[in-house]
Amino acid sequence: MLQSTRGLPLDVRLSAYIDGEVNETERKELEQLIARDDEARRVLETLQAGSSFGNKAFEELLHDPVPLSLVRRIKQGPGVSAKTEHLAISAPRKTKQRLWPRALAASLVLLLVGGSTGFIIGKTSDDETQSVKIAAARTWLDDIADYHRLYARQTAEHLVEVPASAGGKIEGWLASNVGVNFSLPDLSDKGLTFEGARLLVAAGKPVAQLMYKDQDGDVFAICFLKSPPGDTDGKMTESMRDDIAMISWQKNDASYVVVGPSSDANLHQLATAISAAI
Amino acid sequence: MRPAVESNEFRRDLVSVLPKLRRFAMTLTRNAADADDLVQEVCERAITRYHLWNGEGRLESWIYAMTRNLWIDEIRKRRVRTGSGTVDAAEQDELSIEASGEKAVYANQLQKMILSMPEGLASVFLLVNIEGHSYREAADILKIPIGTVMSRISTARLRLASMITETTERRA
Repeated sequence: MLQSTRGLPLDVRLSAYIDGEVNETERKELEQLIARDDEARRVLETLQAGSSFGNKAFEELLHDPVPLSLVRRIKQGPGVSAKTEHLAISAPRKTKQRLWPRALAASLVLLLVGGSTGFIIGKTSDDETQSVKIAAARTWLDDIADYHRLYARQTAEHLVEVPASAGGKIEGWLASNVGVNFSLPDLSDKGLTFEGARLLVAAGKPVAQLMYKDQDGDVFAICFLKSPPGDTDGKMTESMRDDIAMISWQKNDASYVVVGPSSDANLHQLATAISAAI
Repeated sequence: MRPAVESNEFRRDLVSVLPKLRRFAMTLTRNAADADDLVQEVCERAITRYHLWNGEGRLESWIYAMTRNLWIDEIRKRRVRTGSGTVDAAEQDELSIEASGEKAVYANQLQKMILSMPEGLASVFLLVNIEGHSYREAADILKIPIGTVMSRISTARLRLASMITETTERRA
């Protein structure tokens, strides 16, 4: 049942008119008023302008990345452990609650680093080996995250190396360079448009990168490289690098990763669809 | 107790509304840190009480109402702790509190502007103008009279319209 707006201020009545919250009789009455009264028309236009401006501003809020840790906890956990993961929303105590575990963790890290450093110095040799080990800890996914951060910010002109218009040539070009045969996934039913491809190098190996965009202009990438089959074939692993979420898996003789904004809650479903289609 | 698969479906649905939930929380708390804490608490509560969700209507409405309730509880706790604190506009017909510049800490200029709106306006605008809830639905979620929804949506639009002028003047 719609509310009567009679007797309310003009801006409230016109606002209700915009929202379709007036009954038929009042709607006609207000339309006649708008047609003959300049002030009513001016107020209506102001309200509509406010709506449009607000739409834009609120749309921006929607694109803020949702903390992936929260997404993961909801999706995977059998239940959220209040004891270990509850964050009280009490402001005055919040700093303490948040800081002491971090301070403890930081102290432990410093202790370990200090201990390790002392051990390394004490050994007086093998410095080079240590450096190599540290460098090796960086995976191909770290390189992919860096590439994504760089390329996702590019304008359409520089987003890809070979545009989607090259069609079937892309599959042949990438397959021959990377050594992985694949089919270009059509993700239009997921709201993603194929923009084109790039050939990258990550962890010293050639990597194929397929770039997609959604309706909001967010960039999603599928990257893969040749790698020996492992024990974890098919198992999907989720990780986050700041505002970028990554879901990776191994299948046959290749490793794959889907990269997208961490705010995207459907990345896992997307990765599953890609794994089946590629 | 419902089978696990239903629980998993609920979790999936919950994840899919997270960006919207966070945005709604931002309109209540008007700063990102409080919004994130609030979202986490709401999700915890929703998961433990998902059997109470009847599956009818919009999941957002159920979650939003829970979010609003938790935020009101939090404000009350803060008021008790501080001995005075703010008065929650969501419980009042009259708007009285302006968000301080410090509170509306957010990178984007547009976001800063909407988060600096007087309490209660942004939530109503979001529910009605952006997400298409009816006045009745918005009133139920925010637990305010429908007349308050009507006046707030209008005030929010006029306020946003005045921001266009402010933005233009600032650029000039």
